[in-house]
Amino acid sequence: MLREMLKYALILMCVTLAASGALGFVNQLTQPKIAAQKQLELQKGLSAVLPGTADGIIVPDEENAVYRGYANQDTSDFRGIAFSSFAKGYSSTIWTLVGLDSNGTVMKIRVLGQQETPGLGTKCMEIRSGESEPWWQAQFEGKFAPDLRVDKDGGEIVSITGATITSRAITNDIAARSGTIIEKLKMTE
Amino acid sequence: MSFKKDLIKGIFQENPVFRLMLGLCPVLATSTSVQNALGMGSAVIFVLLCSNIIVSLVRNWVPAKIRIPIYISIIATFVTIVDLVMAGYLPDLHKSLGLFIPLIVVNCIILGRAEAFAGKNGVFRSILDALGMGIGFTLALTIIATFREILGNGTWMGVPLFGPSFEPVLLMILSPGAFITIGLLIGLLNWTDHARKIRHS
Repeated sequence: MLREMLKYALILMCVTLAASGALGFVNQLTQPKIAAQKQLELQKGLSAVLPGTADGIIVPDEENAVYRGYANQDTSDFRGIAFSSFAKGYSSTIWTLVGLDSNGTVMKIRVLGQQETPGLGTKCMEIRSGESEPWWQAQFEGKFAPDLRVDKDGGEIVSITGATITSRAITNDIAARSGTIIEKLKMTE
Repeated sequence: MSFKKDLIKGIFQENPVFRLMLGLCPVLATSTSVQNALGMGSAVIFVLLCSNIIVSLVRNWVPAKIRIPIYISIIATFVTIVDLVMAGYLPDLHKSLGLFIPLIVVNCIILGRAEAFAGKNGVFRSILDALGMGIGFTLALTIIATFREILGNGTWMGVPLFGPSFEPVLLMILSPGAFITIGLLIGLLNWTDHARKIRHS
């Protein structure tokens, strides 16, 4: 009885060892590629949420992954500040980049990472045919960040049909986080 | 003859979705667009093929009492490989399939084939079985996604089919649309089967 149990444990151990070996190998192969994809995505996201900085530079701030965008290399013409929002959605943490101008008004937002329900929550990233940016995210443009609310909470952001939780999570998280970011903006002025 | 049957049965007589009613959860969730359906289908074909090969290779060394944890470890390994490779090389597809790639681990089709076929048959027949079942799953998923994407979104493979006046039937892209489509298709298949049987007798 004991011998049998030991034998089974040993066999299972061999199987899982082989499995983890194989996974370690694949992980080694794909990790640099995945990291590069993430970096590329972040770069693309930053230049999208900080319009007017394409030929200028985007400087990372030390804390909280905040980025400052300038229109030219000598950092005299300040365009805006970008920060990451991590909202707890329906089935995942939603990573959104938000660009604010010096008044705290949203320039653009970009959802970069989410694992929400396909067909419902994933609509926050949907680009309609013939359009160049996601329709849901375009609504945030020109609105004062701390006042952002979805329509069901009396705000102006139209929530996604069937995905109120996703819509509300992103909107509220941006509104909540923008407060300290605006403080930061005031301090530098 | 028997080899051909191993391949074909998964596509028609024993189609995992329409006949065996297995793996319906990912079918409901990823049949919202044809692109998602094809991506999900390829991931399932890869995992099913690899797991069937390995399971049939080790079938004589696997003790019956601990076969399920061994099968699940093998399946989970290949699913994680698909997840990592997709994240690295197909980031857009990886994003739109989201949670459903890791969930292939608990897809009944794959464990079902390991248990019912690969654990009892040789490598070559297991490969045919995996290909047949995988293609059958992808085919069913794509058919359902075609109905749902055209009616619910007005597009096919992301290409708009109608003018701007087309009002998509939102219900079709939501979960009830999946239940309705699958139900009607299964009903249609059973009805034609029944009609054929009556004609033969």
